[in-house]
Amino acid sequence: MIKRLLLLVVVLAMVAAACGGDGAEETTTTTAAEDTGGQVAGDGVLAEVQSRGVLNCGVNNEVFGFGYVDADGNFAGLDIDYCRAVAAAVLGDAEAVEYKALTAQQRFTALQAGEIDVLIRNTTWTASRDGKEGGTFLTTTFYDGQGMMVKTDSGIGSIEDMANTTVCVQSGTTTELNLASRFAAGGLPYTPLTFDSNDELRPAFVADQCDGWTSDKSQLAAFRSQNPDADGGPEAWTILAETFSKEPLGPMVRDGDTQWAQVVDWVVFATIQAEEFGLDSTNVANYSGDNPEILRFLGKEVGDPPTVFDPGLGLPTDFAEQVISQVGNYAEIYNRNVGPDTALGLERGVNELWTRGGLLYPPPYR
Amino acid sequence: MAVQTDTAAVHRESPAVRWAKENLFSTWYNSLLTLIFGALFVWLGFSVIRWVFFEAEWEIVRVNLTLFMVGRFPREELARVWVSNFLIAGAIGLMAGAAAASAAAAAKEAGLPFTQSTPRNWLQRFWPILLLVVILLQFSQTWTPTVLTLVTIAIGVGARYVGLHLPRAVRRWAWLIVVVMLIGAYGALSWFGGVKWDSWGGLHLTLFVTVAGIVLAFPLGLLLALGRRSSLPLVRMLSVGYIEFIRGVPLITLLLMGIFALGFLLPPGVDPSDVTRLIVAITLFTAAYVAENVRGGLQAVPKGQTEAGQALGLSPWKVMRLIVLPQALRAVIPAMVGQFISLFKDTSLLVVVGIVELLQVSSIANNQPEFLGRGLAEVTLPFVALIYWVGSYTMSRESRRLEKKLGVGER
Amino acid sequence: MTTETKTGSVRPPFWRDVKVLRVVAQLVAGGLAVVLFLYLARNLRTNLTAANIPTDFAFLDQPAGVTVTGSDFKATQPISDIILLGIKNTFALAIVGIPLLTILGTLIGIARLSSNYLVRKAATAYVETLRNIPPLLVIIFTNTAVILSLPAIRDAATPFDLFVISNRFLAIPWATAQDNSGTYLAVLGIGFVASIAVWIWRTRRFDATGAPHHRFLWGTGTFVLFAVVGFFALGRPFTLSRPEVVDGRIIEGGYQTVGPYVAVLLALVIYTASHVAEIVRGSIQAVAKGQTEAANALALSSFQRLRFVVLPQAFRIAIPPLINQYLNFTKNTSLAIAIGYAEITLVVFQAIGNANPAPQLILILMGSYLLFSLSISLLINFLNRRLQLVTN
Repeated sequence: MIKRLLLLVVVLAMVAAACGGDGAEETTTTTAAEDTGGQVAGDGVLAEVQSRGVLNCGVNNEVFGFGYVDADGNFAGLDIDYCRAVAAAVLGDAEAVEYKALTAQQRFTALQAGEIDVLIRNTTWTASRDGKEGGTFLTTTFYDGQGMMVKTDSGIGSIEDMANTTVCVQSGTTTELNLASRFAAGGLPYTPLTFDSNDELRPAFVADQCDGWTSDKSQLAAFRSQNPDADGGPEAWTILAETFSKEPLGPMVRDGDTQWAQVVDWVVFATIQAEEFGLDSTNVANYSGDNPEILRFLGKEVGDPPTVFDPGLGLPTDFAEQVISQVGNYAEIYNRNVGPDTALGLERGVNELWTRGGLLYPPPYR
Repeated sequence: MAVQTDTAAVHRESPAVRWAKENLFSTWYNSLLTLIFGALFVWLGFSVIRWVFFEAEWEIVRVNLTLFMVGRFPREELARVWVSNFLIAGAIGLMAGAAAASAAAAAKEAGLPFTQSTPRNWLQRFWPILLLVVILLQFSQTWTPTVLTLVTIAIGVGARYVGLHLPRAVRRWAWLIVVVMLIGAYGALSWFGGVKWDSWGGLHLTLFVTVAGIVLAFPLGLLLALGRRSSLPLVRMLSVGYIEFIRGVPLITLLLMGIFALGFLLPPGVDPSDVTRLIVAITLFTAAYVAENVRGGLQAVPKGQTEAGQALGLSPWKVMRLIVLPQALRAVIPAMVGQFISLFKDTSLLVVVGIVELLQVSSIANNQPEFLGRGLAEVTLPFVALIYWVGSYTMSRESRRLEKKLGVGER
Repeated sequence: MTTETKTGSVRPPFWRDVKVLRVVAQLVAGGLAVVLFLYLARNLRTNLTAANIPTDFAFLDQPAGVTVTGSDFKATQPISDIILLGIKNTFALAIVGIPLLTILGTLIGIARLSSNYLVRKAATAYVETLRNIPPLLVIIFTNTAVILSLPAIRDAATPFDLFVISNRFLAIPWATAQDNSGTYLAVLGIGFVASIAVWIWRTRRFDATGAPHHRFLWGTGTFVLFAVVGFFALGRPFTLSRPEVVDGRIIEGGYQTVGPYVAVLLALVIYTASHVAEIVRGSIQAVAKGQTEAANALALSSFQRLRFVVLPQAFRIAIPPLINQYLNFTKNTSLAIAIGYAEITLVVFQAIGNANPAPQLILILMGSYLLFSLSISLLINFLNRRLQLVTN
């Protein structure tokens, strides 16, 4: 009996000791966290990437046009090109990227845990994600919108016609949340059918298990244009005109490192600015004009006395030239991955320069 | 009179007809069942043949074969995979040869007849794997894989020959050579500037995770099994608690924990890769099942064995190590193969947490520009299913074979 | 007193004293476990705080934001509700699946021992094919091959005007309660008690006199009598509701369920049945041959032999491995995530994807499965003990 009591006392003592240590330890770690939060030059993601010599980029590996893998195991897509652009700017080599394919559920955790330096995985910018996920969204690289695709012969002409329908949707995305709020707003009862991947979703839509397929319009367009003739071809499917949510897709970095955020931001701006200047991968290397703004942008000597402009972003002064010569300007990236000549076949739409009525508006580079 | 004609009729029947009468048409309902199931078999066979040879578009598998086999393993480093295959084939061949030689020697000593397994035996045992290899090779676009596969097989056969004819003194150490070769196979992949397992994928990763899971889980499972049979109540309680907790939850919850929560359980700054996390999760999971298998083995050892050991004055530890465990572990082998099979099938769950295993490759292939939106998952998924089927069917037959063999050995 | 000290001095030194060693070993093991647990818990708390993730369960009261297949769950309901719904849906799979897979598995297990060559081979092919494919793939294939090949809802099949079969919803007729349905249920309760009383009476009589008891017939008869008389006496307290397709979009009336539920149920039943078939076959073969011979000597038909002699004994052997398969079935329902049936794993996975703290959610998930597993094994262990008492 006494032995048992003794045992109990010892165990309790150990628990108490461990708990005491617990409290003490916790205070030290919080101070450590504060230390890393304060920005000191030379320690931050930028310095880390530069010393590592490779950029860790979180991407998708199964969304055609944005992030996918070809038969040789190489990544390709619009998001991938932006990973390459960041690597070209920071490291001077667009191929110095370590891609990390992430599921929708994993992506924010991976960013928080520092497994990746930047997340470029067709991720929609929302307030709660900015606020709760421990990351910060940067300049949008693609303005998408959620739409609804139906069978052409279904007689559905608008979302309002869809009372009591069943809608197929991919799980773990904002799409699911938007669907719920759109139908609730219209007072339309519906049944969602959620799927883990489009491979399982598509046959359900083909077999009429659901009346509608909701997703980002770019994705709907891709699946529509690729619909084989055996299933009626593209004409058998219609994408409804209504865009019922804004889906700005762009890169995301961890909270608390402003310098790194600025770097990624300005890489995106550089691709847009290049298009505005008429610079692309074919002509940027031998630019011989004397437009001082372009010379400043490319990090060439300009003015009198001739000086090289350094905005102090922590990037090499010729980063824009590296990005454009190795990856291309926005138009090239767009057309290569999602433009009219690809399977997605998307016109520029709102993803057009502000000078042509679009939403792309880079701040001045000076 | 009537009886006579009947027997006469029986005499006139050929053996085939008699067999059919006994096995297919013995009663009216048996005849009916025969008709129904016969029609079913014919229809199934016809549909499968039509689908495989005429309807299915195999192009997607042909183009992505490398992706299915090794995932995103860098293509310029593929030679490493082949070198490691050679080493593994050599190790397996050597082990098989040495084992057969020792068995023959033991049989000779005991004066029992011993028949070497013939190539025909091997064909009967491993035809599904051979079939799969042929299917895979006919998908490949160059001759290189075929040649290299033949080399691999030749090395395996050669090593078996070597193993059979090793001098006895060397044979005792054959296991050490095998272990060194297997470590070498791993080293060929990832040492000397090689490829870390985070970049492995496809069937290659599936097999690696399965083997790693079993190998790592075994020691932990053994400890848990001993703990569960321990006479110390607290140790027993902890072991039982762990085993029952793990066996009560599906693997997928542990995988989710590995991906989403394991990082939070480690000290800040320690951040293992996804594959590492999942191997940890799989090991923790499998250990509980291994423990139950080993416990079964321990219970199968008669109590008299322990008592005999104690009577000889051996310490409890020595009784366990020298008398109980060798017998228990031998009895556990078939169950362990069963565990290996179910782990092999369970690796398909890794798709949920985004690892590039076979199912994920199927998804990746269906999102490539040339195959997007054509509903070709109906081709890639059966292909993946075939790979899984061949692996687990062959292993389950081997497990049954072992069970019989070891059962005979137990007298 | 002196003798005591003497025996004490005979005892080995404390580092070789088995009693002391036992306590020390347990202290070490327990201490290690406690330290490990505290260490992990501390890391968890530190890391979550550093990553600005809540360490409490307050997120459970946040709105879920999503709707759920085959239920009237609203997006504004809290996460705790959707988790309960997930548990309910997992339960709905288990409760229907377990009897179905037992029946199918038994049939196939018997078929593997059939005297008909083709039946035997068909059963073998079934078992060897399904057992060796990952259940995740079985679910996807079943969904594609069976559920998606059913007619679309606007062309739904309506056999006898009682059932609706489509790839979206499936429905069977169901009873609709009227005002006095409560009274009727009370009558049924009384009927049930009465039938048990009759059962006991018949059994006692049989024990006393040896006259055939027919207790099943008598018991059921009593219950049916109560049910029928009560039904008409109370003026039809329940009416039949037939399912009907409305607009080619939804079903009204009857009891309905969604395609994914049926797909997961069917897939896991046929998958698990392949394992159960092997258990049943093994158990039948384990029943002593003399039993079969004795049955034959009594001139029982092959059905009678199976029903009254072989199967009752085989099932006793089969129960422990069967429990394992039931547990596996329940755990495998977590794979419904692939085709979107909102059971507990899918619901939790969804919540993790919508920015809720993962460690707490996974804890809840594991807890729910443990609850399932423990309750199933308790239930079946209870049954097992009862059955074994009968044999002795």
